[in-house]
Amino acid sequence: MNIPDTIRERLAQALKEGDAEAAEAVALEALAAQVDPLALIQEVMIPTLEEVGVLFQEGEIFVPELLLTGEAAERVSQHLEKAIAAQGRATTSPGVIILGVVKGDIHDIGKNIVATMFRAHGFKVVDLGRDVTPSAFVEAAQTNQADLVGMSSLMTTTRPMIKNTIALFQELGLRSKYKIIVGGGCVTREWSELVGADGYAEDAAGAVELGKRLLNA
Amino acid sequence: MRTTWLVEIMKRAQSGPFMKEKDFELALTKRIRELVKEYGIQYNPAVLVPADDDLADRVFQAGLQLFVEFGAYCQSTERCIRFSRDEVLELLAQAPAAVTLGTGKDAVVMRHRGVEDPTPTVMHSGPTGTPASERYHPLILLSCAQEPLVDCLGAGSVSTYLGETIIPGTPLEILGARRDAAVAREAVRMAGRPGMHINDVAVPLTCAGKMAACDPGSGLRPTDGILVSQMVELKTDFDQLSRVAHLYNIGGIRVDLMTPLLGGLGGRAEGTAVVSVADHLLGVALYDADYHMFSLTHLNYVNNTDPMGIWTQALVGQALARNTHIICLNDIYVMSGPGTKELLYECAAGAIVGTVCGFNMQGAGTTGGFKTDHTTGLEARFIAEVSRASLGLTRQDASALIPQIMPGYIGTLKNPNRGLPFPEVYDVTTVQPKEEWLALYYEVKEHLRQLGLRL
Repeated sequence: MNIPDTIRERLAQALKEGDAEAAEAVALEALAAQVDPLALIQEVMIPTLEEVGVLFQEGEIFVPELLLTGEAAERVSQHLEKAIAAQGRATTSPGVIILGVVKGDIHDIGKNIVATMFRAHGFKVVDLGRDVTPSAFVEAAQTNQADLVGMSSLMTTTRPMIKNTIALFQELGLRSKYKIIVGGGCVTREWSELVGADGYAEDAAGAVELGKRLLNA
Repeated sequence: MRTTWLVEIMKRAQSGPFMKEKDFELALTKRIRELVKEYGIQYNPAVLVPADDDLADRVFQAGLQLFVEFGAYCQSTERCIRFSRDEVLELLAQAPAAVTLGTGKDAVVMRHRGVEDPTPTVMHSGPTGTPASERYHPLILLSCAQEPLVDCLGAGSVSTYLGETIIPGTPLEILGARRDAAVAREAVRMAGRPGMHINDVAVPLTCAGKMAACDPGSGLRPTDGILVSQMVELKTDFDQLSRVAHLYNIGGIRVDLMTPLLGGLGGRAEGTAVVSVADHLLGVALYDADYHMFSLTHLNYVNNTDPMGIWTQALVGQALARNTHIICLNDIYVMSGPGTKELLYECAAGAIVGTVCGFNMQGAGTTGGFKTDHTTGLEARFIAEVSRASLGLTRQDASALIPQIMPGYIGTLKNPNRGLPFPEVYDVTTVQPKEEWLALYYEVKEHLRQLGLRL
């Protein structure tokens, strides 16, 4: 069944407002009315979340709005993915990304925003948190059959751990299996090239674009 | 001292309510939004320095309520360290209203300042928040310490040791911390102010590194300070609490560093003001701080001189000035760099709002911390001068003046002028500002005089 306009509008509105309860209720109503769950993800959720991402990028909204929209989206996704699985179909995730702040660094708000943005674009995100050892990045990439590995550092004192982590992937012969992207307060494009990353992004929206571009290359 | 209280905090850190950090953040951000509505707190871009006592008191009450409800999140145990309202108020009552910083003839007394307080501000400077190179770090420190109006020095951060990158928790961190402490000590001696308070050595990120910087002979003394940091927002860990334990035992000055993010979990200016008050209360209850360093940072611009940043500082300063007697310092964090007029205009806006709204001064952290060696003593001199000239201004005066200063930098928010590194704006032999940098300083000073500031 096509998505009725009222469902489309109410779901988009609830997501934009970060109203998890309302978003969940609309999603359940839609499923009860036999609306195609995959269409809800592709035609409503992803465009709405992209719109929210743009507003964040432009400084129109801030972290709280992003967090609340993320929470609402997660709540809706659980129901829709379950329904898709029940139909014996597969979701169309663009890929799996491992994210973390490197060893020694505990500044993770930027990484959290990046994680929210990747989720908003349908990626499966494995968030390792902060102070992540090189081997933990490697293990997570292997265990989750990742496509991308994203790491960040805020401070110049912890930045070398990005280099060390990339070096470990190299040493283990795994470097070519994953696209590695880097970012964070002290990381520059020049430096990312120097340490052999596949890409650098200045901000969260740029990271998602970069990730998509690398996977489509 | 209060080591018994630290024992109690450790108990609470291990027995308080368990929460995943993400859940803590989500609950916090939701509650901040509710409190902003509940207390009727509203940002008004037309009045950047509100003269509304009731609004300031509501910001304080909202911050107090937030802190009582959430406490501090201990990342080491994933538990919340909670305090009752009575405990928080009692701890606030016990907090110092004045603290002696430094020793001998170079000692200064930094006091709690009220709103529109005529008491001169104590001026902290140094390359705090701006990385420095091994080569120019000693000269940058000297350029700040030699300024007559600078009272205290922050040793700042150098990211290498003999050219090798310092990694936290390694021997190089220990060596770097000891070197930077010694360099700061030498800078104040060379400036003829050997007893000047040094407010931290920033290179170490671990308690072990901070401890290594403490050395009464050639490093930090008990009359100096060590930063005990909060992680945004309302978060701590055992490494930070260990610093408190060490400082209790050596009798050192405990400096509560908070870096609330404008646009972060607090959201816009209103919520950020509320959580910033709560952050200060964390510094009182958990760190038993001698003074509090408020380093507000805009999520996108990495400064605190944009309109919302100015408003937030104005309200947080007034809320704390009116409802507590704690000693507060606003860290003027700017996006511009030396050798630019933008830097001076940003510093002026920060100095005026801070001075009028109950803060002491710290600055300037330049270029949003992005550019190495882009920091000098001249902007510290300028902040101190503007602060002196702002004594006697009312909040209404400040609110009228700052919008006239903002055009000097506001157009560059999205494309900041990062300026020039130290050796290009200072003579590295005489450690004096070059003519071009001085000319800009005099030009902006003259402009501010024309705007009515008694510089």
